[in-house]
Amino acid sequence: ICLSVQNKCELNKYSINEGKAISTQYPVVDHEFDAVVVGAGGAGLRAAFGLSEAGFNTACVTKLFPTRSHTVAAQGGINAALGNMEEDDWRWHFYDTVKGSDWLGDQDAIHYMTEQAPAAVVELENFGMPFSRTEEGRIYQRAFGGQSLKFGKGGQAHRCCCVADRTGHSLLHTLYGRSLRYDTSYFVEYFALDLLMEDGECKGVIALCMEDGSIHRFRAKNTVIATGGYGRTYFSCTSAHTSTGDGNAMVTRAGLPCQDLEFVQFHPTGIYGAGCLITEGCRGEGGILINSEGERFMERYAPNAKDLASRDVVSRSMTIELREGRYNILNLYYNINLLFCAQNTVITHKDGEDTVVPGLYACGESGCASVHGANRLGANSLLDLVVFGRACALTIAETDTPGEKLSPLKPNAGEASVANMDKIRFANGSTRTSEIRLNMQKTMQSHAAVFRTGDTLKEGCDKMDSVYKSLDDIKTFDRGIVWNTDLVETLELQNLMLNGVQTIVSAEARTESRGAHAREDFKDRVDEYDYSKSLQGQVKKPFEQHWRKHTLSYVDPKTGKVTLEYRPVIDNSLNAEECAAIPPAIRSY
Amino acid sequence: MARHSKLQKQVLSLYRQFLRAAQDKPGFIPRIRDEFRVSAAIKKTDVMHIEYLYRRGQRQLELLKDVNTKQLGSFSKSKEDSS
Repeated sequence: ICLSVQNKCELNKYSINEGKAISTQYPVVDHEFDAVVVGAGGAGLRAAFGLSEAGFNTACVTKLFPTRSHTVAAQGGINAALGNMEEDDWRWHFYDTVKGSDWLGDQDAIHYMTEQAPAAVVELENFGMPFSRTEEGRIYQRAFGGQSLKFGKGGQAHRCCCVADRTGHSLLHTLYGRSLRYDTSYFVEYFALDLLMEDGECKGVIALCMEDGSIHRFRAKNTVIATGGYGRTYFSCTSAHTSTGDGNAMVTRAGLPCQDLEFVQFHPTGIYGAGCLITEGCRGEGGILINSEGERFMERYAPNAKDLASRDVVSRSMTIELREGRYNILNLYYNINLLFCAQNTVITHKDGEDTVVPGLYACGESGCASVHGANRLGANSLLDLVVFGRACALTIAETDTPGEKLSPLKPNAGEASVANMDKIRFANGSTRTSEIRLNMQKTMQSHAAVFRTGDTLKEGCDKMDSVYKSLDDIKTFDRGIVWNTDLVETLELQNLMLNGVQTIVSAEARTESRGAHAREDFKDRVDEYDYSKSLQGQVKKPFEQHWRKHTLSYVDPKTGKVTLEYRPVIDNSLNAEECAAIPPAIRSY
Repeated sequence: MARHSKLQKQVLSLYRQFLRAAQDKPGFIPRIRDEFRVSAAIKKTDVMHIEYLYRRGQRQLELLKDVNTKQLGSFSKSKEDSS
């Protein structure tokens, strides 16, 4: 019998050793597909069945059952300029999104997303998503934060298509139902450990089957990461326990950068202690925020949009109210709860130029197109999921054909991941996983919250560094391999740590306030021109001296040291005739 | 000689199916044999355990039969490093 793999699996500490007890031997099953999608939330499912529809042999690797992904918790809705409630134009949506991103969003991506939005919503409706309806039977659209008509001059826009207050739940279940029509192979409860990278190309994923402890290598020409956000780096958050940024960490360990991690969104109406939130849809339907004096305080901070200003504006206003002693009615104190993390992975590699990493894509919350820029408008994220999930599938369909032969892979690919997993499985230090996780969460919560100052951030960076080093002294208890949740939680903690250090170090470096990143010591936005005055006579600041640029962060996994680089924002739309790019301006609501 | 019980026949049938499915895919047969050999030590009366392994085996068999599954290798720790 040909045992090609077994004959060549030897490097470092690992060597072939037959006849050993099964417990220290990790069987590795190799699979070959045309495409692998990691994550089965909104974006992952859309990408997976989009690929299957295009004829690709697709695998979807997920650590949760698809309908348990965090997309299910989304409540608000999906923005699309359908024009059911009043006259609407996608270019107005484009303007709102660019403004909402505080001019850090890439306008070509935003153009693509807002132009595709009506088609995406209609597609979902055709899949069977049970949207709420108006009396004429058209899709009901509600008002949502940051949405306006006529480029901000026409008042509040009603363009958030919704399903009562459970849009994410319906979306995910609709997509799941639709995905069953296609022949995607689902690998449910497989925890993706790492990417298989060779020569700067991504050749697949290595994953742990939680049910029986076997390792699986999924070789594919195209890998799509759709693993979601990392809310669990914070102590007080509304994300599921499974939001651990696994995809971002995999990318970081592969030596690739993540983009704009310092922009973390704090949802204004989260509920302290309960870990849940009141949807922005309440405010869309007429709810208002009152402080302890009964005053509708948002009128002072955002005279036009009031309670429906963009989320970061509302969060900051509430924090100011809290500080001034006028506790608001939901008693949030300073634990304004975190909702989604704004931005994450990027798949382009900067060496002065953008280059693409072949075979690797990212979409959804873990992708960074970047449509949300420095702040995500509510209801744009579900749109982001479906549009870019589909876009990944379309791009792959354009560049590749199904059934292509795979490039060769080293027989011991993924060895480092298995070594790491083994080390954790038998870890015998002195601190438990839960203790280290709590330390990290509390550090992030106190040092990288809504309002940030240089000193607290610097202190936070040092503390996070020591928490990172304390990972070496971790102790786990379960030595088994079947359903070892201690092991999986520790792997998730490693992933969270990588995300956390990048977030706090990027935040410390960014000396300005933009969107969701608010610095008390640098209250203004620092762009290449000062947009609060007329541009005439102003000298354009060089790239190193302004902050209208994307942060790219790399981490050395052994030491936890973060290095930062920057890349410019894309300011031109896909087609200047169809849709003019919006030049930067002061952002006020 | 005692005849095989229903459960024993099922297990044997599963074993045969595994061997048949693993014929063209390198690396599986030694592991299949190892797993069954180790599990053979389970007492005949421990039906819950046997049935659990049987169900798990069926799922693993489906995975093995899948055309995209190609081969089995293993990473093992050398003697110096096991603690």
